[in-house]
Amino acid sequence: MMKREVAWRVFAAEYNSSSLEIKGEEERAPSYIITPLGAMINRLFVIGVMTDVENVGTTEEPMWRGRISDPTGTFYVSAGQYQPEAALAMSKIKPPAFIAVVGKSRTYSPEEGTIYVSIRPERIAAVDERMRDHWVLETCKLTLERISALEDALEMEVPSAEEMVKLGHGKSLAEGVVKSLQHYQGLELDRYRTMVVDALRYLIPEYRTEAEVPQSVAEVPEEIEDEEKEDIDKEEKVLGIIDKLDKKGKGAPWDEIVEETGKSGIDKSELEELTNSLLDKGLIYEPVLGKMKRI
Amino acid sequence: MEKEELAPHVSEISRVLRGKVEESEIWKELDTYLNHYRVSLETAKRGIVKKFGGDPSELMRGIRKPIQQLGLNEQSVDILAKVITVNEKDIEVDGKQKSILYGIIGDDSGTIPYTAWEADRYPLRRGEVVLIRNAYTKEWGGQPQVNLGTRASVEQQPEESVKLPEGMPRAFPDAGEVKMSELQENMGGVTVTARILSLEKREVDVSGEKRIVHSGILADETGKVQFSAWYDFELKPNDLITIRGAYVRGWRGIPQLNFGERSQVTRTNIRFPSGADLAKPKTRSIGDLEKVGGGIDVLVRGTVVEVRKGSGLVFRCPECNRVVQKSSCRVHGSVQAQPDLRIKAVVDDGIATMTGVINRKLTESIMRMSLEESMRLAKEAMDPNVILEKIDERLFAQPIELEGNVTSDEYGLMMIVSSARVSVPEVRDEAGSLLNRLEESE
Repeated sequence: MMKREVAWRVFAAEYNSSSLEIKGEEERAPSYIITPLGAMINRLFVIGVMTDVENVGTTEEPMWRGRISDPTGTFYVSAGQYQPEAALAMSKIKPPAFIAVVGKSRTYSPEEGTIYVSIRPERIAAVDERMRDHWVLETCKLTLERISALEDALEMEVPSAEEMVKLGHGKSLAEGVVKSLQHYQGLELDRYRTMVVDALRYLIPEYRTEAEVPQSVAEVPEEIEDEEKEDIDKEEKVLGIIDKLDKKGKGAPWDEIVEETGKSGIDKSELEELTNSLLDKGLIYEPVLGKMKRI
Repeated sequence: MEKEELAPHVSEISRVLRGKVEESEIWKELDTYLNHYRVSLETAKRGIVKKFGGDPSELMRGIRKPIQQLGLNEQSVDILAKVITVNEKDIEVDGKQKSILYGIIGDDSGTIPYTAWEADRYPLRRGEVVLIRNAYTKEWGGQPQVNLGTRASVEQQPEESVKLPEGMPRAFPDAGEVKMSELQENMGGVTVTARILSLEKREVDVSGEKRIVHSGILADETGKVQFSAWYDFELKPNDLITIRGAYVRGWRGIPQLNFGERSQVTRTNIRFPSGADLAKPKTRSIGDLEKVGGGIDVLVRGTVVEVRKGSGLVFRCPECNRVVQKSSCRVHGSVQAQPDLRIKAVVDDGIATMTGVINRKLTESIMRMSLEESMRLAKEAMDPNVILEKIDERLFAQPIELEGNVTSDEYGLMMIVSSARVSVPEVRDEAGSLLNRLEESE
């Protein structure tokens, strides 16, 4: 069977919370990311706002990275020399822009138990706001369907995909939901329901104005500046460490960076933020998975 | 060997090669092996699979199925079953006497009649468990029957490997009362209530025998289905009828209703949509169509997630209508190729996916561009791919509504599109009512 994989619609918040990957064991067997709500994603379709895009590779071997925002969070998209059409399309995008992406789910696991998900685009193109709004509504509806599938499964003594299909759920969602329940602890369905409610409000102008002007905005800037300055100091430190650990000129191993920065009181999640920021600024890149290198 | 006899072998080779090689290519290869080099069919198949980098050991492995899942037209199937009855019978084939075996086999899912066309080749003994390889099925009276032809083999298996449940169930439990949209290939014992939208009388040839069939289209509020009545029930267009004891056959995945002498047809007088209402295409989800295999005159909504290669400006052989490359047809050689426009769009609703094939007329109206205009653009750019690019720009990520007939094969669903609408629906009202519903339920 060479049936085409369906393009799932998920919000960034759900996608990025995924920590379960099922790798195809046989040759050419597809891999899937299982989201907390049981989407079994090999391919996905996203429309959002591309907020930044840059080439973190070289001219000869480009690696284009970009971020696409939806009402719940950010998708990370990257295309290199093996996706020449997508890479070329990304090189022409001038952020901010409404962008549609169809792509394959990708994971990056710097260490066991930690998974970062991203999208490797097959096709990426500029669209308009109405198409984005339509995507948001569709994704709301499909997210609600996953929530109700999970609720059905939670009522079963031993959730099984077969029983789920009998209740009218699609085969891959049924399978995904059962796998999700075996893996994820303490699913917060209410959190996802609230996420959908917020996304729906996002589509209705009456709510939109409220959301756009947070009242506390005036008081915040100074703090932000302070934080930014502090962050920049720390980024300098991380850069120094990456330089120091990059003994063979092939990049510094992630594990060693974690260990070394840990000594300076930077914990792992903070380190991830810092390296993300450095990646965004184009000061470092990943020559191979699990290694960081100064540009 | 006749073309019809070779066709299943071509599709088997294609399956083992995962569709990497076009069937027309396989036909050509098979022709060379069989007619030029005159090797046996099995050798030819192994040779071809090997030549294209496939694994010949996959060839013999038919798909093993429980009896209940056997379709009406399996080409090559393996069955592990217990022999319940064996009878021998002499028949005459082409003037020669021949001994065949027939009877019933069963597994834990059901029982099924079988015929073994050469009595001395198959060690079938009552009460024994056997693994039958490379059998095929044919429909008889709406139910499948297992056939052991020249390709089949029988291996004895330990007796405990099949356990028959007490009070054997029938191979196909009666489907009972169902709607048009629920009909599925291989269903038997079907009861439906529907209106006859169209009707025609045809004479058909069933294994050498002329028979009259009354065929047409039946519809209820869920959709339309083609039917064939093998007995004259004096049906008239617009009749509202209840049919009991019908069965379903499939044509490229599309379920078709059949009924005959042993079925009952009664006219009813319940409240039912009018013929005009029923004539409109009914909205179906791609996932639903996938479940039943296809349907006629359906309306499908989704988003274009890919405009497939081969869309845009193509050139066809004037003889056979095949798409040709460089004015050279695979079958007819150098030809004066005719230009044509088409779109093959992958339409996806987040749950299931389907390919829509859109003809020249609809492509011209979607693209607001005539065939002549696209020829001119391609000539200017000296590249016919500019049209594909234009179509991709227009359709990628676009919500789309398609009407047409949906068939299916091992690659999935395909719609021959008869009407297309590209537009982004307004979201605000629907978002509002969905929001209200969520907030109320909190």
